Amino acid sequence: MAAKHYVIIGNGVAGNAAAAVIRERDAGGRITIVSLGALLFYDRYRLPEVIEGQTDWRRFLVHPPAYYEDSRIVVRRRCRVAQVDPARHLLTLGHREEMTYDALLVASGGRGHLPMALSEFAPLLERFDSYRQAMAVAAALGADGGVVMLGGDIQGIAVARKLAAAGHRVTLVPSDHLFWPHRVAFEAYPRYLAALGQMGIEVVEGGAVERIEATGEVGRRVVMEDGRTYDGKVVMPYYGLAPALDFMAGSGVDTERGLLVNPELRTTDESIWAAGDVCQIWSAEENAYRFYYGWTNVKAMGETAAGNMTGGGETFHTFLDERLAVTEAGALHSSFWDYER
Amino acid sequence: MGGTDIQIAICGSAGDGTIACGDILNQAMADAGYRVIAFDVYPPEIRGFGECMARSRISDRAVHSMKESSDVLVSLNDAHAIAHVPEVHDYGAVIYDDAPVTRLHEGQHISGHIKPGQIPYGLPARQIAEQATGAAKARNMAALGFLAGLYAMPREAFERTIRRKFATKAAAVIDDNLAAFAAGYERGAATFKLDLVAFAPPAAAASGSRPVILSGNAAVVRGLLDARLETLFGYPITPATPILEMLAAALPKHGGRFLQVEDEIAAAAATLGAGFAGARAATATSGPGFALMTEMIGLGVMAEIPGVIIVSQRGGPSTGLPTKTEQADLDIAVHGGAGDAPRIVIAPTNVEGCYRCAGKAFELAETFQVPVIVLLDLYLSNRLETALLPETSPFAQGAGKRFSPADRSGPYRRYALSEDGLSPRAIPGQIGGIHTITGLEHNELGRPSDKPEIHQAMSAKRHRKLAAAVDFPDLRITERLGDDGPVDVGVLAWGSTAGEAREAVERARAEGIRAAVLKVVMLAPLPLAAIEAFLADAREALVCELNYEGQFANLVTAATARRLDRLDAVPGVPMAVGRIVEAIRRLAGREAPRAA
Amino acid sequence: MTTLKEPIYLEEKLKEIQESGRLGYRSRSLPTWCPGCGYFAITEGVASALNALGVAPHEVVIVSGIGCASRFPFFMNAYGLHTLHGRTLPVATGVKLANDRLSVIAIGGDGDGFAIGGGHIPHAARRNVDITYLLCDNAIYGLTKGQISPTTELGFRSKIAPYGNHDAPLNPLMMLLAYGASWVGQAYAGDPHHLAEMIARAIEHRGFSYLNILSPCVTFDKTNRTYRALDLAVRHLAETHDPADVMAAMAEARDRDHPALGLFYRELRPTLGDAMADIARLARASAEDPVVSGRPAE
Repeated sequence: MAAKHYVIIGNGVAGNAAAAVIRERDAGGRITIVSLGALLFYDRYRLPEVIEGQTDWRRFLVHPPAYYEDSRIVVRRRCRVAQVDPARHLLTLGHREEMTYDALLVASGGRGHLPMALSEFAPLLERFDSYRQAMAVAAALGADGGVVMLGGDIQGIAVARKLAAAGHRVTLVPSDHLFWPHRVAFEAYPRYLAALGQMGIEVVEGGAVERIEATGEVGRRVVMEDGRTYDGKVVMPYYGLAPALDFMAGSGVDTERGLLVNPELRTTDESIWAAGDVCQIWSAEENAYRFYYGWTNVKAMGETAAGNMTGGGETFHTFLDERLAVTEAGALHSSFWDYER
Repeated sequence: MGGTDIQIAICGSAGDGTIACGDILNQAMADAGYRVIAFDVYPPEIRGFGECMARSRISDRAVHSMKESSDVLVSLNDAHAIAHVPEVHDYGAVIYDDAPVTRLHEGQHISGHIKPGQIPYGLPARQIAEQATGAAKARNMAALGFLAGLYAMPREAFERTIRRKFATKAAAVIDDNLAAFAAGYERGAATFKLDLVAFAPPAAAASGSRPVILSGNAAVVRGLLDARLETLFGYPITPATPILEMLAAALPKHGGRFLQVEDEIAAAAATLGAGFAGARAATATSGPGFALMTEMIGLGVMAEIPGVIIVSQRGGPSTGLPTKTEQADLDIAVHGGAGDAPRIVIAPTNVEGCYRCAGKAFELAETFQVPVIVLLDLYLSNRLETALLPETSPFAQGAGKRFSPADRSGPYRRYALSEDGLSPRAIPGQIGGIHTITGLEHNELGRPSDKPEIHQAMSAKRHRKLAAAVDFPDLRITERLGDDGPVDVGVLAWGSTAGEAREAVERARAEGIRAAVLKVVMLAPLPLAAIEAFLADAREALVCELNYEGQFANLVTAATARRLDRLDAVPGVPMAVGRIVEAIRRLAGREAPRAA
Repeated sequence: MTTLKEPIYLEEKLKEIQESGRLGYRSRSLPTWCPGCGYFAITEGVASALNALGVAPHEVVIVSGIGCASRFPFFMNAYGLHTLHGRTLPVATGVKLANDRLSVIAIGGDGDGFAIGGGHIPHAARRNVDITYLLCDNAIYGLTKGQISPTTELGFRSKIAPYGNHDAPLNPLMMLLAYGASWVGQAYAGDPHHLAEMIARAIEHRGFSYLNILSPCVTFDKTNRTYRALDLAVRHLAETHDPADVMAAMAEARDRDHPALGLFYRELRPTLGDAMADIARLARASAEDPVVSGRPAE
């Protein structure tokens, strides 16, 4: 019988967890990971080390290159998926290479959402999602640059606390997305804001951002609608995540904001699964499709989907307490920040 | 470790402009002050696909060999380049066109063959070229520009080189190439460099001398011209043909005469005739042609006539491997021909050495009145390397004992027996110097004789006279590099392999092994004193050479009775430095150090 | 056979020879050829020719290969190269290209020239290198004691061809005419005065001159190419023969039964030396490859 070809779109936690499980369960199967980025899977939680001068990305790799050779997992890097044709089990890469699959896992994750009003200022904004971005931020910050963070979702706060700990001034201009995806009761805010302060993050009045300007060579200024201005070396927008699934357009597979999947993480196409920040899983309790975030969830989703792609029948369960907490030391803690190296 | 030491491979199909890219890269980097060593690879034509690969090593320090793996691969044709991805360093970079014109099946694009640790860089080279110039033809320049921009290579050096290279073409051609290069450069400069390959600006060039970049063959030509070569007879043979072609054009400008003859026998014959008539005469060939010349060399030895024969070795035996390198003609160079026919054989170890040996060869030939064989190999002949060549010729004219018409002490004795074995040579046109040379054994007057005492005395003369060659001034006949004094492993090497041996010794020393290499340039007569002194210092001795039988090791063992370890290989390409390092480790009783 | 018109006295003859100056071109070594060999006449012929032309001995280079005829340089007072079997012409070419002022004479036998040396003759001829090639054709290998050569007649028997030679002989004159030699002539050792004259004209000619000299080997060929046979067979080319007509020359050359003596063909065309001079002019006017010159292209 010919070897099955498992294709995984996305080179993050979900995709790599899935690849490992597939290899375990199907020794002869072909596994291809398709990645937009140029690097092998690395530990994003370690990117703040870049700020401290650690520029060799090899140290961040979760698996050494030999792992992929030994496990016969092909990682197609700098490859964009242009189109998926479920009827022909075909996906087309941006450089017009066609690839057939037997089972497809969409684990392309999410991109930082940027409100429409700010989209024209995108070239002046920085995020901290990748090695490249971390290097750019490190270069811009220099020894003790200031950071202005907008929005303040939980991922952004993780970044902010690391930057503050490294000695950089962090100013947070909150929006509705503060602490996203945690839902925080109004009464609880003061406690959490105090925790942020404890972590070295200065939270200012929220409000609408009117514009962002470049000042001098590397400076940035955020101008609020009410006239307030905040200066820094970098401005980072953290307004929550939007699933990355433009390539699924026209495929006929059901989507809402993300790819819709059943509790076994299968989409409405019998050969396509999804895992991670890109998919919404049907929740019987909530009677709705919902996202699950955080390393623990994402890894579990990858493993579950992989188990099901190789003939299993598991459903996904989350074990995370999705509440925001304040530690004894007075710092904020989110279960979405937990991960194992 | 900072600085620059990068090896770039550009792979494409014939017609993609691969070699042109490599040429511009080499010239530009030499122009910018880097040291460059470049060796293009052309697989046999029979396959019909015409794959070309240009490989260049660029460094801010002196380099003596190619690296075993390249740091960057630029693919101008994925179908060919895919096979060369394994030759790229595990953490190297691969640059390719990510906007092909046709649909591809899975696996046809090079991005699917890149090793996990390597960094892919895609650029729409064709489109960039089209936007910049209106046609896709200059896509090779767009790719080259991208490479240069990515590594922040000095842009002006490239632009200067492009202008120079296309100077004889229409202005539109120059402009198109510059435009495509510029568009690629900007793109590369704007691309985030993820790979760990370092490229730093070169150190300020030493004042006065700027290195030139040229092939071994071109260096030979320069050396011959600087030595005021007068006649060159040749017959085309790979890889010596470029020497003939360059001299066909240049020699007449310098007052000399070039003639393409009907075969190598004629080439050697005419060289000998011209040498007898007093001209500086040379020929250039490879193994199979040299095999035909051995009889004539014997005549040159017997009749004591000066001549220079350049031999660029290639894979053998017989027709062998015409486009592969080897070092298997040492035996025939030293001994080829009937009888005891001693001659001088010198072998340069790098491109600069090709210049010096070719030029010095005439001084040796005239001083010792004997054919001098200069042994290159295909790798040296064809590779490009930066070299420091002198502004004015360092080579002397009119060397050797000459007959003087004023000397009237009895009949002219062309082969007078002297203590040093050298006797005065008369040139046709000189009154009083009339004599006939012959391949027959002869007495002092040159008249044929088969008397035992004459044959003995003349054999001794022909051998004795060469003894002083090993001390010839201004020619580095041996060179010791590495640790001084006693060493664990002493490596003996000759020809181009001395470059690889040198790097191997440096690597071994970095691992804590006491090691040294002795580069031997004169192979006949053998510089025994230097070799024996070196062997005395070496606990273990290793000879590495690109031939199957260990020809040089055999020569040394025969002369010194010392048992030598041998690394003999005939891969058709330069010896891998890593293999030599392994051999040194083994002899030193060490294991390989753990990977970092 | 010439008839004596008057008595010739020895003392007078010796005086004439000494005063003529031709002895200045002979070395002190006595030839080692067999008595009666045609090569004695050739030696005399070269000496007289050079003497008549007034070329200084130290400006003459005689190049030979291996064989009886190739022993020639030892017996002449001139620079000599006794080289290798069959390699006379390329060596001579090298000498001439080294120093165009030298008078270069190549000499050798039919085996040296047409067997092992056969590959070099066309090129010397077509290049029109300004040398003289004296081909001593005795249709045998004399030095090695009597083997057949490329010009040996069919059926000739020797130790190496005990059943008779089965290879048709070459026609040297037709070959040289076809090779484009700019001067082709034939002479006979048994007619020494004509021979001397032909040698002189061959040397004088500006370009590659080929003189085929029929010569008996008195020791090893007692049946075919003897003085008696040749005396009867040879004839002189008619006065009406046009040496500018190569086809006429070919036709004459075909006649092997009655070999013709004299000038078969002559043309004047640029020599190899002329070509070299032209090239030098062209070269000086053109730009030099910067890789070779070491200077950047202007």
